[in-house]
Amino acid sequence: MKKTSFWVILICVIAALSALALLWQHHQAKADAVIANVYQDGELVRSIDLNQLTEPETFTVTGPAGENEITAEPGRICVSHASCPDQVCVNMGWRSDGGFPIVCLPNKLVIEIESAADENPIDGVVG
Amino acid sequence: MHFHRSNRIRVLVMVLVLLFLCACGKTAAPSGSVSEPDAEQRTDKTIFAMDTVMDLSPFGENSAAAAEAAAERIQQLEQLFSVTIETSDIAKVNAAEGSPVEVSDDTARLLQTALEYCEKTDGSLDLSIYPVLKTWGFTTGEYQVPSEDTIRALLENVDYQKIQLSGSSVQIAEGMQIDLGSVAKGYTGDQVMEVFRENGLTSGMISLGGNVQVLGSKPDGSDWRIAIQDPEGGEGFVGVVEVSDKAVITSGGYERFFEEDGVTYWHIIDPATGAPARSGVISATIVGESGTMCDALSTAFFIMGPDRAAEFWRTYGGFDYLLVMEDGSLIYSEGLQDCFTPMEPWSNNSITVVSK
Repeated sequence: MKKTSFWVILICVIAALSALALLWQHHQAKADAVIANVYQDGELVRSIDLNQLTEPETFTVTGPAGENEITAEPGRICVSHASCPDQVCVNMGWRSDGGFPIVCLPNKLVIEIESAADENPIDGVVG
Repeated sequence: MHFHRSNRIRVLVMVLVLLFLCACGKTAAPSGSVSEPDAEQRTDKTIFAMDTVMDLSPFGENSAAAAEAAAERIQQLEQLFSVTIETSDIAKVNAAEGSPVEVSDDTARLLQTALEYCEKTDGSLDLSIYPVLKTWGFTTGEYQVPSEDTIRALLENVDYQKIQLSGSSVQIAEGMQIDLGSVAKGYTGDQVMEVFRENGLTSGMISLGGNVQVLGSKPDGSDWRIAIQDPEGGEGFVGVVEVSDKAVITSGGYERFFEEDGVTYWHIIDPATGAPARSGVISATIVGESGTMCDALSTAFFIMGPDRAAEFWRTYGGFDYLLVMEDGSLIYSEGLQDCFTPMEPWSNNSITVVSK
């Protein structure tokens, strides 16, 4: 009788703890993810969780006016090279937690950071 | 009451199962609740038009059709307003060498409103500044600092008062050129809101190359939170303004500029000097109901500077404004006190609230 109660209580405690652990993990994963979405002419071509990266990654997106070389590093992303004449996208530099999206007009390229799951997310940016 | 031993275990096992269910329910809740505000249908559409990128986010049952209709309307307006499309109303006016040109209703309506703001701002907004802008290279990217003689000669033909609009007929002086770059996106925003309404929508947000305009409130009934970009570039924000049924439009020196011999030259040209405006303002934001008005005044206030801006606002009203100054201070009209929250480091700088 006593033995049974002991085991039942122990299992209950373990169950409660694992539930808490699950909750915490879920919360952490949500808070820590920084998702960069790369669009070409409105189509999503890459979606990267910058906080899951362990080393830099470079890839190329081709648009109507040429190529954009994009570099993603742990926590941040930028256009590292572009074949367009004005280089506006390269000059826009790194993005790590939102702000105005990186745009290359000639190549119809947009890189946007999904706003982190904070309490008061921003709906739009004017600039 | 006395439970048989096996019964008692059964009850405890059930309690255990319930506990697990509760815990699982809790972990599932965050992802479940995220979709709730979006439960109403939403469409996101990106289009490239008017030399910029445009994001359309209408909400509601009919949002997909509304986004399509809005995109069509934008393309249509671009064909009328673009200074570089040869068949546009504006290109035809510029090519007419002084003779009158019949234009579409949209062009006539926009010109009429824009000319009113040219008049009210005493020419700080001037639709005929285009040849000066072109000579500085801001329309092509081939930047140069023109000589004073060149600028003086160009300014001879800069005068909005020589733009004659009667009905749908437009006539400009020979040697003059106009463009609607300072007002076209604002007018387009107003028209997109109209298209959304015609499609039965009550909620939506658009960004036309950084001009934000919202229809109604968010689907959950709260105001839209619009951040104002840090004029010094990068990722920061000056602050957040919370609005419904408004346009929020910013003109900044950081949008298009070049540097030569350590001097920064930006694309907002003061028609009085023919050179980039130096009024102490580095970003001017207007919050109001009409996109056309906000677009026109954001450019004008950047050029007019804080004193003339305050005077204008006291005279005409009907909107609110925020100026970010070169020294980092903020100046805004009293209507923003309730809906604008400055962020660090701006919130620590000098803040002046302008009242009537």
